[in-house]
This record gives sequence, structure tokens and C-alpha cells, in this order.
Amino acid sequence: MKQKYIVDTTLRDGEQSPGVAFTLKEKVTIAKALDAMGIQRIEAGTPAMGKEECLAFEKIKAVCQNAKIIGWNRMNLSDIQSSINCGADIIHVCVPSSDLLIREKLRKSRTEVLEKLEECADSIHSAHKELTIGLEDASRADWDFITLLIDTAIRLGATTLRFSDTVGIMTPSICKNYISNISSNINIEVHMHNDLGMAVANSIQGLRSGAKYVDSTLFGIGERAGNCNLEHLLIATVGQMDFGICLDELQWRQERLRPIIFKIHPNNIYRLSI
Amino acid sequence: MVTIIDRTLTTLDTDRIDTQDLNHFCTLLFTCGVTKIELSYELAFRLKPFFIAGDSDEPINTHTCFLTLNNNDDGTPIWKLEPNELAEKAIPPSQIKDLRNKKIRLLGLEDLITRNYLSIFQKLLNSGAHTLDLCPSNKMHCATAIALEWILAGGTSVSCAFANYHDFPRLEEVLMGLKLRDPSSFKGDLSVLSQLKVLYEKITSLPISKTKAIIGNDIFKVESGIHVDGVIKNPATYEPFNPKTVGSQREIVLGKHSGQQSVLYKLREQNLSETAAKSILKQIKEGCTQLGRNVSDLELQSLVREVKNDYETKIYC
Repeated sequence: MKQKYIVDTTLRDGEQSPGVAFTLKEKVTIAKALDAMGIQRIEAGTPAMGKEECLAFEKIKAVCQNAKIIGWNRMNLSDIQSSINCGADIIHVCVPSSDLLIREKLRKSRTEVLEKLEECADSIHSAHKELTIGLEDASRADWDFITLLIDTAIRLGATTLRFSDTVGIMTPSICKNYISNISSNINIEVHMHNDLGMAVANSIQGLRSGAKYVDSTLFGIGERAGNCNLEHLLIATVGQMDFGICLDELQWRQERLRPIIFKIHPNNIYRLSI
Repeated sequence: MVTIIDRTLTTLDTDRIDTQDLNHFCTLLFTCGVTKIELSYELAFRLKPFFIAGDSDEPINTHTCFLTLNNNDDGTPIWKLEPNELAEKAIPPSQIKDLRNKKIRLLGLEDLITRNYLSIFQKLLNSGAHTLDLCPSNKMHCATAIALEWILAGGTSVSCAFANYHDFPRLEEVLMGLKLRDPSSFKGDLSVLSQLKVLYEKITSLPISKTKAIIGNDIFKVESGIHVDGVIKNPATYEPFNPKTVGSQREIVLGKHSGQQSVLYKLREQNLSETAAKSILKQIKEGCTQLGRNVSDLELQSLVREVKNDYETKIYC
């Protein structure tokens, strides 16, 4: 069986699902369960969100015995400093890679993106932290620019390259074409969204095409229709891939976390008070 | 020409569906791009006032039949009935042998994504079958992907069903997958999917998950500051397709992950004072973290009033 690794993003992309929000204590409880079941990497949130999030990182670091803790960052030095300060093991930098995001959201040029990425990498290396780079909206990006970003990531010493299907439009065969063409000089991680109901299938195809890491969440929560559902991924790959996680254990631990993850119930309607 | 067969009506308890709803359900399925609707003869006869049963006088030797949409000589649309001649087979790919001139529906095949499925598809396409319909199982959560890949590889018929209370590929996901791959040749109108969802929930009493791909109520809600920033500048930044395509609309909501931009947007949208935006954002973030949900428009209005009163009180004191 092929050995592969899970990057759990329940506490970051999962929590970005509208209506899902965790308190500090809840984040720590979820992280502790993820670590106990053998998840290798936990993306615990975005430290730039503020003091509460940074405090959560510190507590999560203290309770997790094996998992490496990832701090997610925009391509922004101040965000990165927050992640470094709160003790994240891995500093992840999200790089908008499609022209649509670069032009319409960042309002910058490709050259400016590359320059900024170099600055970010320098600050992470100065802090002696592990750098991973995520290509946001890679599935809608120009392949020439993707290739340039991958070469840059390798040159800047990133240990892992995250390929993100940010709006969930890939099919497994398209996924295969992209991932199998990425250089083998860097570890590949795939981050799939479920907008077309294919996050699990695309993740499997990404792993079969050379990815070592796959992003997933408990119950498949995440932006819009969600991310790759960890339980479904394990079911679909039984006997084919080994993530070092026991399906039975995941199922009972996940069920115990259900009340924390889905807090909405009919009585939960009291007005916000100031 | 790809044949999309919808099997939803074979998965439901149809006893309590009235003829009007049944008629409407079938109309919406045809509108969104379904080629054939599979249903029992018993159910089909309840539709009798609405279709001409082309071959219905022939001996019935199958459990189900297909309803198809045709055109009269004068061009007006008309429904017709034809027998379901597909022989269902649930066999592993390795045992697929002589299919020549047969009309087959292949079931199962749930693990194809973890195999070299393109070579299996090629073998099937070269099998000489008269009709080869694929209806993969969703036991491994990959049925939609298998169905879509089958069509993209050259397959000409797939069977699906609406929403997710069954073991078939999800119709709405397959249709959207086809539309996104080749918008010019896709003829269906997916904007009726929201009506189809309402009707499905009515006739089944089964709620569709708020985050169900394509048709979930919450899939076009945007909360996180980073995404709101992008969506305000250009919605395409964080949307796989325009919500109107499926008869829905985007909504910016406030919660733990909201930023200043989101609050200002919502205050302007509701014509509320922007004076205390920073204070309001802080209250929202704290409150939503405890509640584990978003703030409603009414709660926002109330919050604005209370913050305003608080300010005025401080001034008078």
C-alpha cells in the first residue's frame, strides 16, 4: 500500500464554512483528537486573525504530541510574523496564482507576486521555520505561471507545494494532468473543494498522480460545498493507500466532536447582546 | 449525443405524490437537461393525461419504463413512453466480456477511481455493445466523478438521480460538470434546479443539506474576510459559477471570520449607520464564536441600535 499523509484543515478552511466557529477551547479539543488519531499535519488557523487565534495556536502546540502545526498566511509579512510568534511549526504562504485573483483581488502583477513571495520566504527562513507554499486557484491559472511559481518555490526552499482547486471545478482526469506534470523535486499536497461533488475523487487522483499530502476536513466542512471529507477519503482508499489512520477510530472520534462542530440547534437563537 | 437518464422516481415512495407535482417534477427534469426519466409503469400511467404513450400498448416485460421528451409535427413538445430495455449487470471490470449488440446498464464499479479507469472505459467503449449505460454506485463517494469521466472518455449514456438519498451519481453535479466542460453544447437550463430542490423536498419530506454541492442553501454564502474582499471586487474570484446559473444568489454573511469590509458592506446594504463599524465587528466576532452561527440581518439592526444608544448615552453623561 502506498504511504500518504493527511493535512487536516478543519480548523482553518473548515472553520471558514459560514456559520461554523470554534472557541479557543473547542479548537484545542479538536486538535487534540486529530493528533491522537494520527493526523500528521494540522492546519490550526490563521494567526493574523488576532490574539485569540494566537493563543489557540499556543495551546494546540502544547497538547499535540506528534502532529506538526501549520499557520496559514496571506502573502503578507505581518501575517507571517504572527504565525512565527505563536510558535507554528510550519509557515504556510498562500499565493494567488490565477490571473483572475492576481488582477481582481490583489490588484497586482505576476512580477509583484513573485517579488512578494521572495520577501515572505526570507522572513520565514530568518526565523528558521519550515516554509510551505500554496498555489491558490491553481486550477484556473496559466500553466506557464504555475511552472514559474513551482520553480520559485523549490529555489526558495519550500518543503511542500500545495496545489489548490480553490473553486472546486476540476475533474479527476484534469487533476491527473496537472499533478503528474509537477516537478518531483518538491513534495506535492492537493487541496480540493467539493463544488461539483468530486473532492474525494480528485484528491484520490491527485495522490495517485504523485501527491504525498492531501488536505481534508472532518465531515467535509469548508467554504461553500466543503473540502475533501476525511472519512469518505479513507473509505474510498481502503486497501489502496495507507494514511496511518484507523477508519473506526476516526469515525468514533469524529462523532464525539459533532456537537462542537455543528453547534446550531433550535434553542440557539438568543440575540447577541452588547 | 449523450443520454442522461434520471432514476430519482425509482428511488422514492411515490404513492403520495399527486399527479400535478409528478408532472411538474418531470417537466423540471427535462428542462435541466435530462434525456430520459426512468419510472415505474404504475407511475407513468398516473401521468397519462400529459403524454402520448407511443409504445405503451406493447406487452410490458420490464419493471420500469422511460419517459422521453419529443416534438410533435408542429414543433410542440410532447412526452412519450418507451420500455426500459437495459439489462442490468453488476460485474467487476475484469469480467466484462462479450457485450456485442447488447443493451446494458453497468452497476457497481464504485472503486474505479482508485484504478486505471480510463483503460477500463476504453475496453467498454470497444466492446461492441448496442447501448452501454453506466450507473456507478456511490459507496466510495466517487459516483459523480466516475459518471462524468465516463462521458468525457466517450461514453454515451449515464444514469443518475437528483440530490443524495440514493446510491447513484448525483444528477445536478453531473449536469453542472458537463456544462462547465462544454458550455456551448450543453442544452439544459440549470436555473430550474432551485425549483426542483423545493419540489423534491416537498414530495419526499427529505431535507437537502445546506452544503450539498450545486443545490445547498448555504453554498453561496460568504463569510471569511478574505473571500468577501475578493467577491466584492469580482464575484468570479471565489465562485465556481454564477449562483444565478442554478437559480440561486450569493449572500455576504457576518460571523467569526468577518472583516471590516464585510461589516461596512452589510451596513451599507441595509442603509444603517457606519459610525460604530469597528465596535460592531468586535461584538459579532465574539458572539458568533460562542453561538457557532452567523448574525441575522435583524440581529445586526438591533446591534447597530444598541451601539448607537450606548454612544449617545456616553455623550450625554
